[in-house]
Amino acid sequence: MSQEENILSELTGRFNFLEGKINILRQRRVSLEVGYDKFPEVFDYLVNKMGFNFLHTITGLDEGERIFLIYHLSPDGRIVLNLKTSVLKANPIVKSVMPIFLNAEIYEREIADLLGVKMEGLPIGHRYPLTDDWPVNEFPLRKDWKPHNTEEGVS
Amino acid sequence: MHNSDEFRIPIGPQHPALKEPESFSIALKGEKILGVDIRLGYNHRGIEKACEERTYIQDMYLLERICGICSHSHSTCFVQAVEELASVQVPKRALYIRTLIAEFERIHSHFLWLGVAGHEIGFDTLLMYTWRDREIIMDILATLTGNRVNYGINTIGGVRRDITDDHKRQILEAMEKLEERINYYIQIATQETTIIKRLSGVGMLTYEEALKLDAVGPTARASGVARDVRKDDPYAAYGEIVFNVITDSHCDVYGRTVVRLKELLESLSIIRQLVNNIPEGPISVRVPRKIPAGEALSRYEAPRGEDVHYVRSNGTEKPDRVKVRAPTLANIQAVKQMLKDRQLADMPIVVAAIDPCFSCTDRMVAMKSEKGASVIKWQELRNYSIEWYKKHGVDFTELNKKLA
Amino acid sequence: MIYLFYILVFPGILFLSVFALAAEFIDRKLYAKLQNRIGPPWFQPLADMIKLLGKEDIVPTDANARMFKLMPLVAFTSTVTAFFYIPIWGERSIYYFNGDLVVVLYLLTIPTLTFFIGGWYSTSLFARLGSVRTLTQLFAYEVPLFMGILSSALIANSWSLSEIAVFYAHRPWFWVSNIIGFAVSLIALVGKLEKAPFDIPEAETEIVAGSFTEYSGRHLAFFRLSIDIEMIVGASLLAAVFLPFGLEFSAPIAFIFYIIKVLFIVALIAVFRTIFARLRIDQMVHFCWKYLVPLSLLQLLINLILKDILT
Repeated sequence: MSQEENILSELTGRFNFLEGKINILRQRRVSLEVGYDKFPEVFDYLVNKMGFNFLHTITGLDEGERIFLIYHLSPDGRIVLNLKTSVLKANPIVKSVMPIFLNAEIYEREIADLLGVKMEGLPIGHRYPLTDDWPVNEFPLRKDWKPHNTEEGVS
Repeated sequence: MHNSDEFRIPIGPQHPALKEPESFSIALKGEKILGVDIRLGYNHRGIEKACEERTYIQDMYLLERICGICSHSHSTCFVQAVEELASVQVPKRALYIRTLIAEFERIHSHFLWLGVAGHEIGFDTLLMYTWRDREIIMDILATLTGNRVNYGINTIGGVRRDITDDHKRQILEAMEKLEERINYYIQIATQETTIIKRLSGVGMLTYEEALKLDAVGPTARASGVARDVRKDDPYAAYGEIVFNVITDSHCDVYGRTVVRLKELLESLSIIRQLVNNIPEGPISVRVPRKIPAGEALSRYEAPRGEDVHYVRSNGTEKPDRVKVRAPTLANIQAVKQMLKDRQLADMPIVVAAIDPCFSCTDRMVAMKSEKGASVIKWQELRNYSIEWYKKHGVDFTELNKKLA
Repeated sequence: MIYLFYILVFPGILFLSVFALAAEFIDRKLYAKLQNRIGPPWFQPLADMIKLLGKEDIVPTDANARMFKLMPLVAFTSTVTAFFYIPIWGERSIYYFNGDLVVVLYLLTIPTLTFFIGGWYSTSLFARLGSVRTLTQLFAYEVPLFMGILSSALIANSWSLSEIAVFYAHRPWFWVSNIIGFAVSLIALVGKLEKAPFDIPEAETEIVAGSFTEYSGRHLAFFRLSIDIEMIVGASLLAAVFLPFGLEFSAPIAFIFYIIKVLFIVALIAVFRTIFARLRIDQMVHFCWKYLVPLSLLQLLINLILKDILT
């Protein structure tokens, strides 16, 4: 049994609600989707019990009603597991994973800035990557956001 | 600042030590650094958003322009993801050429870094020497691709230019020359006292810290973390090439220098293997404009570390989402760690030691618009500048009439 | 009238400025050649000077304008004054008295102090850091420089540069006994001139231009000229004290010898600049007190013993 299948069977064995939610995309790529209510549990298990201790990055996606967050985790730098979760766009609040991955700070700030997801537990600091005077409630990476004044606007 | 012995100095957004605008606000006590406050984002250009409104092939060229030094890294990384989505089998020869350019890029990037590092510690002679020798590789790149940077060699499904036997000969000759130079630099870096004095013990990042902070690339490898995407997740032709992952146990800037220098030798060996074993065949396959829906995560070992691209397609000819994580972003936390309790004099070299590429990290903002605030229109700005120069005696109106 | 000629033309301001610019050119050209570059054309230092003189003068709002503007002039004056006490074309300088050696050393310290004061009063953070570093560095190199030069005066039994020159000119082989002092003083001089590897107060990649960060236009031009002249005066001082060759010849030949000696020292400084990386301020202070000071003490000891043997 390959390492990818090992991961699959270990996860489904531990969490039976993950049955059918795990895909092996290709060699060394596993994808897994979990609702946000179950996310902390699964995340904790992956990091602490299965040794997924390397966070490549966090991707944010706007899928209309919901905002998806994909945590790209890896145990050894070889296999990457895309751990997907989603929150409602109307009230996007997730817990920061900074206590576990210090490096997540900048990735989370990026998602907070560009997709407007509130990161609970993220320390106060500079915003990234938008400018300090960027208007509130404008999140450029959301699908319904269109650039205005782009042709002539330099300010 | 008269009364307090602690004060902050701004390094950036514009400062001679930084080649790109980024702001480090440094709290100092005398010459000692107490803390660093990093503000990124000055180079935000909105590339990720822009990608969603362009076709895949346009995106490839756009993403190549994320960074001038690791341009091939970003374009290859993206192309790999798209090819995975379209499930095309890229011809072997194309993969070999991609790898070849990738290794050339690594060599020229590491040479560039060595020069910059020399400059940061006030050793300009090293800068002049390495940048002169870097021209050897730039010439090769220009011969192979037509460009010194932003090579534009990739296309979805292969590469755009083939290499000839004449090229192969030129490459092998250049490699001989480079090998001699690299050995010379290794000798300098390991024997010259002032260099060793300035580099060793500076910017410490222990093995545990490197793991905890998810450091990537030479920064991680100099702390003994054998993490290299080329080995861990072989892409392009790396699966068929024999090479070593260089690690070092110094954990400081000196270690990072050694790792980069040894990687240069490793790159030379990879290039020789590639040139000697390149298979015959086509260099590209046709890929339909519409890419089937799906998602792919592509990884690539850029000269600075692991580059990650996430591409999500929706069945049209434009991607739904492109996410880029450049290596420098992953190393930012490590810089904070490295600068703690160091001297101000160490700051430039410590920052330089991760080989930062801030343009890479700041990719995506669209134009800024501010409601209520005065927005100068482009035309107005242009007129303003013309008027300003008229007042100062530079007037092109007459000349324009003459020419028209 | 003749004094006015001395001060304004030769060996005063005009000669010194031309020689300083020529030395800067040689320094830069050699540096470039050693780095495999083409380097500037011969008139580049002059062109830079003229350009700077034509540029706008900016004084920071918070700066103490009077001190800010005065310092370049003080630096310039003190270096030029120091030059009159150094013998160049013969065994005697234009002005001499017993104790002029101390005066020259003192006058050479003044430019460093003006860098400090100028940087401090320009109120920029970078300039202040630079000026603090200038002063820190001063305490590190000044002691070995003084001891290195004074130990050679010990044998000559005089505090006058001219008499030292006379003494050594008649016993040329005595320079061998001072070779440690020469090496120590040369390194200390590099520190004084703030050239690599001791260009810490001006470390571009850390504190932009140190004390000179806020200077522009005429004031910067004067500072730069003073540094060039300081290099000449420093090199002349070392040449007079440690390289006592050719002084016994007639004036023109002695003068040619003098030019060669100075250029030799300038070239040595350029070579240092090429082959060393910049040290940190703590490493620099450490180096001076750990190696240079004991070496200069050794020189002092050697000369004390030698003097005892001689008399």
